[in-house]
Amino acid sequence: MTTRALLMVLSLAFAAACGDDAADRPKDAGIDAPTTPDAGCFENPQTHAEIINACTTAQKVFKKPNLPLLQADGSLPSLPP
Amino acid sequence: MRGLTLSLIAAGALVAALPRAAHATPCDQIPGLTNPVYLQVGDTQLALMKRLGRAMRDNAARPVSMIFTTSGSCTNIRAIYDRTPIAAGTNVQYVPSIAENPTWDPATSPTLTCQVPVGGKVPDVANSALFNSACTTETPPPAVHHTQGPIQAYVMAAPKASSQVAITFEEAYFTFGFGMAGMASPWVDETQLFIRTVTKSTLLAWAANIGVPADKWKGVRRDGSSMVVADLEPSTSPEKAIGILGAEVYDSRRNTLKSLAFQAKGQYAAYWPDSTPSSFDKKNVRDGHYTVWSPTIWMDTEPAGQPVSPDARYVINLIAGHTVTPAPGFDMTAVVAAVGLTPACAMAVTRSFEGGPLSRYAPPESCVCKYESLVDQSNCRTCGPSNACSTGVCRNGFCEVQ
Repeated sequence: MTTRALLMVLSLAFAAACGDDAADRPKDAGIDAPTTPDAGCFENPQTHAEIINACTTAQKVFKKPNLPLLQADGSLPSLPP
Repeated sequence: MRGLTLSLIAAGALVAALPRAAHATPCDQIPGLTNPVYLQVGDTQLALMKRLGRAMRDNAARPVSMIFTTSGSCTNIRAIYDRTPIAAGTNVQYVPSIAENPTWDPATSPTLTCQVPVGGKVPDVANSALFNSACTTETPPPAVHHTQGPIQAYVMAAPKASSQVAITFEEAYFTFGFGMAGMASPWVDETQLFIRTVTKSTLLAWAANIGVPADKWKGVRRDGSSMVVADLEPSTSPEKAIGILGAEVYDSRRNTLKSLAFQAKGQYAAYWPDSTPSSFDKKNVRDGHYTVWSPTIWMDTEPAGQPVSPDARYVINLIAGHTVTPAPGFDMTAVVAAVGLTPACAMAVTRSFEGGPLSRYAPPESCVCKYESLVDQSNCRTCGPSNACSTGVCRNGFCEVQ
């Protein structure tokens, strides 16, 4: 692989790590170390979605709860009356 | 030192929350209660009332006696909008001056009590610990002056014995919106969901952040934060128990409770208000990683463009971090930091309504370095008359950004 091709692959990898799509969420679960910036974070957040997912050294928890009432598309059902 | 202080706070917090009420004297007959200002505030502001009340009693340049009662934020807004007096004979709280009790400690000592004098008293100052629009959308009376104060964070708390670490937006929606039927394990026992009544900022702030209207919440409704603490601490079902508290209430009970990291809607991970579960820096509140916070709003009356009570306005301006004349004989930023609030000048994000989207914020006169020096450690350069800043502005001994 040429150097140019290698740089292109790395660029694409970094680009894929950014964005606010749910597919970019870190896949592991558990408590992260307090000094490790997260992958898929935003270095220069401007919008709400970017601010809450901005890069940080703060301790974080990745959690994927099992919620039986969550709808197939990931949306929430209406509250009961 | 911080740990020792918090241990003392924790040991005394419940006792301190209860004023000494027997045979209270009318407030206007108590010698030494000069320049009285009556305040009706949220119970999340109790620690601020005690610490600032003590400082103001002994503020030589301008002593003020803060006489206060706690109630729900929405009730407090109504009181000053409608000019509803605190009834005569109502027990209200105040704190002693150094001369009256040199050993009194705002973290551990109980408040003192006096009675509202004959005729009742419309509060000089009313406080809500969230955006007023979360309580009422009516146009405020023109005579009511609003001042935005420090930031108040709210947490989900569980008994120390709980193994739970975090709660997501979706889990909170099912837990408090559906109760047992929500099947958001382990929080499926509605007798172990400890919440607040619908006028309380703690409930309203959480309601706006999880999309469950305040009157729809499942759980046991409590009138005071201390009641939620008393529910959680001895729970025999620690895994199922969860409650909502002001962050500063939780901060004083960390030896018996734990707070859960919260993952907001659309957020990739859950965070605590602080950068770690054991720190007190409110870093995630300040930079937007922790979304459950509200500004405190302080209201007084100025029917003709001038405050009815200049002493009330003086106190409000101090709380809000404004420059006041005469300058106080104490460090107001330290008072705010000590009671778990975050000065607005240390924030990097803002919002315009309860639970609303966050946007970036640059305070006109930053106090980030000063605040961090109080709650953690500041990495800012220090400065002084013979040590100028190469960039930024020298303020309070630190090179602040602006």
